[in-house]
Amino acid sequence: MRPGFQRALADRLCSLLHAISPKEIRGWAEALRSEIANIPHDGEALRFVSGSLCGLLPRILLTNLQTTIIALAGGEHIDGGSTAMGFSLHRFSQLRLVGVISLIAAIGLGLAYMAAAGAPAAYLTLNLAALVLGLVMLGAILRLSPIARQWPGLGSFAMAIVLLATSLFGSAVEGAARWFVLGPLFIQTSLLFLPVMIVAFARTRNRLATSGICVAALALALQPDRAMAGALVAGLTVLAMYRLDRAVSVALASAALAFLVTLTRPDALSAVPFVEQILFSAFDIHWLAGAAVWLGAALLLVPAIAGWQGNADARKTAAVFGSVWLAIILAAVVGNYPTPVVGYGGSAIIGYLLCLCALPTSVERQSQTDTSLADRKVRDHRPGASRMRALSIVACL
Amino acid sequence: MTRSRRLSEHARTVLCALLDAREAWSHGYELSRLTGVKPGTLYPLLIRLEASGYLVAEWQQLAKVGRPPRHAYRLTASGVLLARENPPAAASGGAEFGQDALA
Repeated sequence: MRPGFQRALADRLCSLLHAISPKEIRGWAEALRSEIANIPHDGEALRFVSGSLCGLLPRILLTNLQTTIIALAGGEHIDGGSTAMGFSLHRFSQLRLVGVISLIAAIGLGLAYMAAAGAPAAYLTLNLAALVLGLVMLGAILRLSPIARQWPGLGSFAMAIVLLATSLFGSAVEGAARWFVLGPLFIQTSLLFLPVMIVAFARTRNRLATSGICVAALALALQPDRAMAGALVAGLTVLAMYRLDRAVSVALASAALAFLVTLTRPDALSAVPFVEQILFSAFDIHWLAGAAVWLGAALLLVPAIAGWQGNADARKTAAVFGSVWLAIILAAVVGNYPTPVVGYGGSAIIGYLLCLCALPTSVERQSQTDTSLADRKVRDHRPGASRMRALSIVACL
Repeated sequence: MTRSRRLSEHARTVLCALLDAREAWSHGYELSRLTGVKPGTLYPLLIRLEASGYLVAEWQQLAKVGRPPRHAYRLTASGVLLARENPPAAASGGAEFGQDALA
């Protein structure tokens, strides 16, 4: 390894540590950066900063979880909008807050169903663990978002590569390669990453993001995953109703092609207990269990409805968000596909929380700050825009 | 019930190094090298010591041109007391130490 690379990597790690650190630790991250500037050997500097990062990470993750919980609880405002944990509540927008509350309620209903259905205790624990992990990730991602904004589309492209890697090297069951195996866990990467990719694409489009969507479409065709390919088509179709620019056209064409490929390929996976077909089988246990599953699934669409009350950016993003999750739920109704959040499985829970990160920060009707430049040019000025909005409401509901 | 103030061996070692430095300021890398405590243990420990009021941290501008300011540490009066009450195992005859009270 070249010495310059080690020094650069050490600096990057310092930047990462600084970005994800809560306010009270941020000064220490700066201290670490200044300290490695005084370490003459590059390798030693890298070892020093990576060791420090490992030591501080548990504390940072715990604080991020605390700040998320404080934000959910209404967080005490001090010093012009910051909470006692140094976390700016306005960054945790109303839509995201609505989403997290809906998610927690949906998980609770799902746990009630699983307990009534006699699911193993480990299943219930895993869903709860996924919620905690997702909340920690949400806090960290919100802190990292200013850095991510410097490279728009890069995150989406990276996630698309993971999807493609899953198709090529992932674990296959009955001809479908949709999972990465991590110890005892089967992680469905498309449920993790695809919803956030689509919602992020609704707000920021460039060549990298468009390429990411095309690669994701290819990955879904290869897997094959009819449900997620359908969700991709649904999200992009709603987006196209708002603005059919070149990027959306290319992405939608790729998605439609991928969906067609998945339709032609056999999908012979049988239903997994507590995961698939539970929207119907839950009623065999008790009508309340069935109602819990349906209500839980419906709760996932609440942010889409709430976003409709906001500004143009919020309405468009919420419509795309709603159409994606509605498509995933409908897939669980019509086929042997996972019922998100209410069924057993952590991928959808974490995927939903990641997707919330892509929702706009502000939903105020007067707000202009979070509206992307591309959409500012066209929103509300296109002929037939109100008709498109009406169609999106249908897609949302 | 009074909580026992039993420090980890790492905490005692770092406190001892800071006590030895007396009025002089210490730095993270130097402390790590001097005590053999890994940076992953050192920084969380320094954070806890500072939060508990046993340590004062300060940014210091270095005389060398082009070097960024450096974070420096020194024990407070209560930190000096804590360090004296809790010498490292080698110095206190190999007593057993339990959990880090500052954790």
